Amino acid sequence: MAHHPLIGYLVWALLFGALFAWEGLALSHLSNYVPTLSDTFRAIMRYPFGRWALFALWLWFGWHIFVRGWHFLLRA
Amino acid sequence: MVGGFVIIMVSLAVGLWLSRRPGGTADHGARQARGERASGPGLAPVTAAGWRRLAAHVAGTMLGGYLLLVVVVVLYYYLVARVGGAFIKSAFTGCALLIGLAAPVFALASWLTELRRARTTHKAHPPAQQPRPAP
Repeated sequence: MAHHPLIGYLVWALLFGALFAWEGLALSHLSNYVPTLSDTFRAIMRYPFGRWALFALWLWFGWHIFVRGWHFLLRA
Repeated sequence: MVGGFVIIMVSLAVGLWLSRRPGGTADHGARQARGERASGPGLAPVTAAGWRRLAAHVAGTMLGGYLLLVVVVVLYYYLVARVGGAFIKSAFTGCALLIGLAAPVFALASWLTELRRARTTHKAHPPAQQPRPAP
């Protein structure tokens, strides 16, 4: 595995942390003006191209995790 | 990576569940007032035509998404980076495999959800009994 500067990993952690913090804020009823991730996806899915793009994103995600990145547990 | 996938899917599911609760983040009644689609025991049972429309909708989304991803992958491969590991072939076959696995599961889940909703409706509002003819 390649070694990368720590800052690169910290940026990813920060981005994912911000994503889930924003989702948590949306779910907490603290603000009625923050849509949840589900609300956002529902808004995108009103349009055919939005549905295709989201499905393509889902496929890309699944392809990377379950097809390209898949290793059986007992594989040497 | 699998952990990230699970976290995002669970987060989406929780958001969907919370927003569909009565008085949730996106209130169900307010959504119905805006003319958006709703689900629940109050709706009429899904007809054969409804299932056909759903199948066409899902098939169109899957085909459109698959083709869009393939176009992006091919453009990425030829214009940005020549990734190794049979990248293009893996994109075609791997994504088709995922669709082949996900589509039957989605269909089964949709059918079971509708079956459960129909049973709930039947229990809440049983059909009126036919009056017996007088002897």
